[in-house]
Amino acid sequence: MTANLLEIKNIAKSFPGVRALEDVTFTLNRGEVLTLAGENGAGKSTLLSILGGALTPDRGTVTIDGVQRDEYTPRRALADGIMIAQQEPAIVPQLSVEQNLLLGKTTAERRDAGSHVQAALDDVAAMGFPLDPRTRLSRLSPAQRHALTIAKAFAYDAKIVALDEPTTSMLEHNVAAVLKRLRELAEERGVGIIYVSHRMPEVMSVSDRVVVLRDGHVAYESSIARTTTEEIVRRMVGRELLNFHRNHPVKPDAPVLFTATGVSRPDSEATNDITVRAGEVVGIAGLVGSGRTEFLRAIVRADHGTGGTITIDGKPVNYHSPNGSRDAGIAFIPEDRKRQGLALQMPAYANIALTAAPDLVGRGPLVNIRRQIAVASEIATSLALKPATVRLQARQYSGGNQQKLVIAKWLRTHARVYLFDEPTKGVDVGGKAEIYGLIDQLAADGNGIIVVSSDLPEVISLSDRALVMRNGQFISEHVGDDINEHSLVASAMGIAKGTAA
Amino acid sequence: MSNDVAVAAPKQKRHINFQAVGIFAAAAVIFIIFGILNENFLTVNNLRDVAVSASVNALIGIGLTFVIITGGIDLSVGSIASFVGIASAALMVNNGVPSIPGLLIGLVIGFIAGVLNGLLITSLKLPPFIATLGTMSIYQGLAYVVTSGQPVYNVPESFVLLLNSYIAGVPIVVVVVIIVAVLAWLLLRKTVFGQNVIATGGSEETAWLSGVRVNRVKVIVYGISGLLAGLGGLVVVARISAAQSEAGAPYLLTAIAAAVIGGANLMGGEGRIGGTLVGALILGALTNGLVLLNVPSFYEQIVTGLVVVIAVAIDQGSKTWSGRRRKGGQATPNPATNESQAPGEAGAEDKSRVAR
Repeated sequence: MTANLLEIKNIAKSFPGVRALEDVTFTLNRGEVLTLAGENGAGKSTLLSILGGALTPDRGTVTIDGVQRDEYTPRRALADGIMIAQQEPAIVPQLSVEQNLLLGKTTAERRDAGSHVQAALDDVAAMGFPLDPRTRLSRLSPAQRHALTIAKAFAYDAKIVALDEPTTSMLEHNVAAVLKRLRELAEERGVGIIYVSHRMPEVMSVSDRVVVLRDGHVAYESSIARTTTEEIVRRMVGRELLNFHRNHPVKPDAPVLFTATGVSRPDSEATNDITVRAGEVVGIAGLVGSGRTEFLRAIVRADHGTGGTITIDGKPVNYHSPNGSRDAGIAFIPEDRKRQGLALQMPAYANIALTAAPDLVGRGPLVNIRRQIAVASEIATSLALKPATVRLQARQYSGGNQQKLVIAKWLRTHARVYLFDEPTKGVDVGGKAEIYGLIDQLAADGNGIIVVSSDLPEVISLSDRALVMRNGQFISEHVGDDINEHSLVASAMGIAKGTAA
Repeated sequence: MSNDVAVAAPKQKRHINFQAVGIFAAAAVIFIIFGILNENFLTVNNLRDVAVSASVNALIGIGLTFVIITGGIDLSVGSIASFVGIASAALMVNNGVPSIPGLLIGLVIGFIAGVLNGLLITSLKLPPFIATLGTMSIYQGLAYVVTSGQPVYNVPESFVLLLNSYIAGVPIVVVVVIIVAVLAWLLLRKTVFGQNVIATGGSEETAWLSGVRVNRVKVIVYGISGLLAGLGGLVVVARISAAQSEAGAPYLLTAIAAAVIGGANLMGGEGRIGGTLVGALILGALTNGLVLLNVPSFYEQIVTGLVVVIAVAIDQGSKTWSGRRRKGGQATPNPATNESQAPGEAGAEDKSRVAR
């Protein structure tokens, strides 16, 4: 064999405020299955996006079959024979199985596509999902769609196939068949497979080699034969800790402030309970997609059909929309500040006033814009907003300062309970420290705080108590020294407690 | 803090002028050109005619501006204008209802018709285009049903005087438009409701999660649109002393055009009452000026269409241009170069980027 099938060399990629990949180097051979492992935010998705041509790296090279790539476009990646099967299947539900397999092909290509389509159908069948090519995708189960997505990735002379969590929607026995077929495809066709999964048993059974990403670096590389699950998990964790310690941990005798029991959603059978004491920060860890955001949204009734009993200070509170949860004293700082936290085209002060805190909007229907600006400025000053004006449009502030604006919305609403969803996503280190300080201060003032975060060091440094959610359900509770990366990761990934330590 | 605001303010002022004055400048240019081409155009009497002929588009356009700012559209305004006009006229002529109650009943009908649009959109989750496409047909049908398609003539003189007379030489309908515009501006810029309207259009999810009753905001906004469409329909009746089942239909597209020329963004989050007024005036001036110049009326629509396209293209162009410049120096947001909207103005450069 002359050259490696794929050579990733010194790849670096930054986004405003975040360095997603710092220096990543590894290779992939023909017929090899390589697992790419790492926590949420370790850089796996960014790397796959670069490979698929959706992103251009800041530095470094991608070499395929000895030819260095000079252009990062999805077209070029397809021409190079690189197929990325995303976690969310890229399919058109209104089209049939066959039409989806032909999607994106020109008329000329379609003429010769018959054998490819048949091969893909055979592959899906071999994975345990025999499909009629005329079936509409909307009638297929998520598992069938995933299987089809995998088969499609191999259908058109792929050289390299990257699969991002391909088995999340499948049952055990399906998974075994899928993995078996993947190995055969790698060996029969000499395809290089990059496999991304959090399910360690799968990783161990399907892969030849594992590369662990951590904080944008390759933290570990080994052949599967010479490593263990424990070793891989150990290498995944231990991300750089931001040096933050809460100044005001919860007092041992603090009374219960907030309870939510039987929190449910229409799309899940699971119900969850949570209790937060005054001054307590409860962290919620879990994998992306484990249902943590949905849990918070259910608490504030942001979606239809959510349920559960809420009490504040022991008194039940009843509401049916975020309007009601706001008036009950619950603040929700959502994950996507650009779409859910701010109206970007409005000035900062008007955004701060959106929660209708009496200080900002007065009691009557009229607003005094001058006063609104003055009060918003006061809040902004207390949060050290930069630039120190509230008259710019919200989109003109940096990520960390936008986050401060979202928090600022709630500070005069007399909220007692703060629900944070990924409070420092896309925020740089300095901004993180400020937001942590703010959360600590809110707790010190006797509020109850829930922090959902995929950043484990964040959960660890902020939480008085941590819960782990998996498949929509809280599965473990951690206090004191048990709030550590090993036990949180092990729990989130469904590895029995203790074995990963 | 106050220093920063003071520093930012003058720069900000200069930039607003560029965008908001653009439409006024365009209007001035159009008026001057017509003035040069025909000496009768810039006379007091003729300008008064222009203002009167712009009034219906202005009223309906102001209501539509609210709807468009929330990211919606109301296709039923023309039908509501027809329905309200003929229903009120029929009540007054055939049932002897006095003028003022007749007027008020008409306004209530318009408001209810609008609220029904809002309920279809919020409760049944219909897209605004579809919901109001349906009610456009329904309300037009009702306008026929009221009088079996017959026009209503001989509307009482007292009613005509209410909306089609002069106070000290100023047409009463112009006064009405000015009052409505001032109230609408106050509602949009100086009330909690107005801020909620702008937020709903800018990011509905943000508004919802902040506790804004988004559905209520929308229902009221469509109610306003229906109310003002009804008022527009009544003005039409007063002007010709008669009501026809289709009298309001032509105003749908011209009222949307007035709002769009005035800077309303169909993507939501952006629109100006003053802009819509000027947009209506521009359309009125075009109609009037082309008649004075003896241009066959068939050409009027072509010119109107061109003006809409050019106005929006210029608006988008100026945003794209400032958007590019912003991208160049984005490392730290800088009030001196970035402030492009007056406080309280709803701008949406981010939308124009999306559109690109």
